[in-house]
Amino acid sequence: MSWAWFHRLGSPKWFYGRFKAWPKPLFCLACLCLVVAMVWGLAIAPPDYQQGNSFRIIYVHVPAAILAQSCYFAMGIAGIVYLVWQIKMSPIFLQAAAPFGALMAFTALLTGSIWGKPTWGTWWVWDARLTSVLVLLFLYMGVIAVQSALEERPLADKAAAVVSVVGLLNLPIIKYSVEWWNTLHQGATFSITEPPSMPMAMWLPLLFAVIGLYLLTAAVIMWRMQTEIMRREARTQWLKQEVLSDGI
Amino acid sequence: MTYFSFLRAECCLVWRRKQNVVNSVLFFLLVIVLFPLGIDATPMFLSKAASGIIWCAAALAILTSIDSLFKEDYHDGSLEQWLISGLSVPILVLIKMTLHWLFIALPLLLLSPILSEVLYLPDNSFWPLFLSIVLATPSLFLLGGIGSAITVSLRQGGVLMLLIVLPLYLPIIIFATSITKAAQVGLPYDAPLAILAAIFLVSLVVSPLMTAISIKASVN
Repeated sequence: MSWAWFHRLGSPKWFYGRFKAWPKPLFCLACLCLVVAMVWGLAIAPPDYQQGNSFRIIYVHVPAAILAQSCYFAMGIAGIVYLVWQIKMSPIFLQAAAPFGALMAFTALLTGSIWGKPTWGTWWVWDARLTSVLVLLFLYMGVIAVQSALEERPLADKAAAVVSVVGLLNLPIIKYSVEWWNTLHQGATFSITEPPSMPMAMWLPLLFAVIGLYLLTAAVIMWRMQTEIMRREARTQWLKQEVLSDGI
Repeated sequence: MTYFSFLRAECCLVWRRKQNVVNSVLFFLLVIVLFPLGIDATPMFLSKAASGIIWCAAALAILTSIDSLFKEDYHDGSLEQWLISGLSVPILVLIKMTLHWLFIALPLLLLSPILSEVLYLPDNSFWPLFLSIVLATPSLFLLGGIGSAITVSLRQGGVLMLLIVLPLYLPIIIFATSITKAAQVGLPYDAPLAILAAIFLVSLVVSPLMTAISIKASVN
């Protein structure tokens, strides 16, 4: 099998051409999944025997928390790819993914504290997971700040890659440090590999919500990447042709 | 330029700018004074909080001193000389960091007996605190160097550097203070000590490399 098509994706021109048509269908699919998940989870799924209806926030909280981590993981990998191979698409991805990841981390924190009030009786505890997601949010903010504060493009790209790689190395350390330090939050609720610990009627909508949010993330990041490619390659001939042939 | 001549020149520079070292030690002392005055000056509170106070102050003092680590070298063109000297930049970075660590950490270590008396640190947790300072401040320096190298070309880079570096400091501070907490209640503390050593080794490998990459990007 030839890997040429894969290597070509490192160039903005090929990436733009190949994935130009993807975001819209992905976005529609994501919306469909999320609507199914929300209706099913918020209206149809049975209430929890202990928490009643307040548990339903899980359908926002858990997917957002999962995405916050996945986004950072992907950014760390992209950072390594940039530092090692200097592939042009990596900083574009970093720039596209960082604000979205930060939004996910913020959503996870916000819904978590709203959920914490009725179940734990407090908006915030200095607990392992809460603290590590908070640190994750700070790491995202660091990447965003570096990108916007440094004026020189090559330097900003390098710096963002360095920060996300160092953050990636630090993430497990942060996670375990706070876990051994203090913990109240329950263990992981959602796993593909293990049989679910909650009944199917509650678990299936969660699965839909996670898949839907993954698709939404992919669509939004691709859109943002396309915009970023257009901004960076604004002077090139191929982009002019591309835009003109779109009938603008 | 050889590694040895570089070391000699850096020693000379640190010695001639000794006011910088004095300033960061003074800053360290002032931050420590803030806590008893601002929160609670009773021995009951202070003896519990002493190691945390000393650690927060140390992290802040190190951050402020590290902010200007490469600034002068950037403005007078020394960083360019590093890059064209043919020497390995990560090793130059390491030499410079080690030197600065010696000059900042030694005063902190010398002051720590006095501070632990002032803050009513229980006697059984002084040596654990001392050990944690010896083992963890190098990691603080190494990680801070990355932020310093990234922001070296900015005129107002200090806040950005804090934003990048402080999240990375959290685990070190957690483990460092858990050593003294364990010692206060008589528990063994070799596990957090080992983790601090592990963090030190990881940052020893990663940080000079990342700092060198950032320096190269900043200079060009």
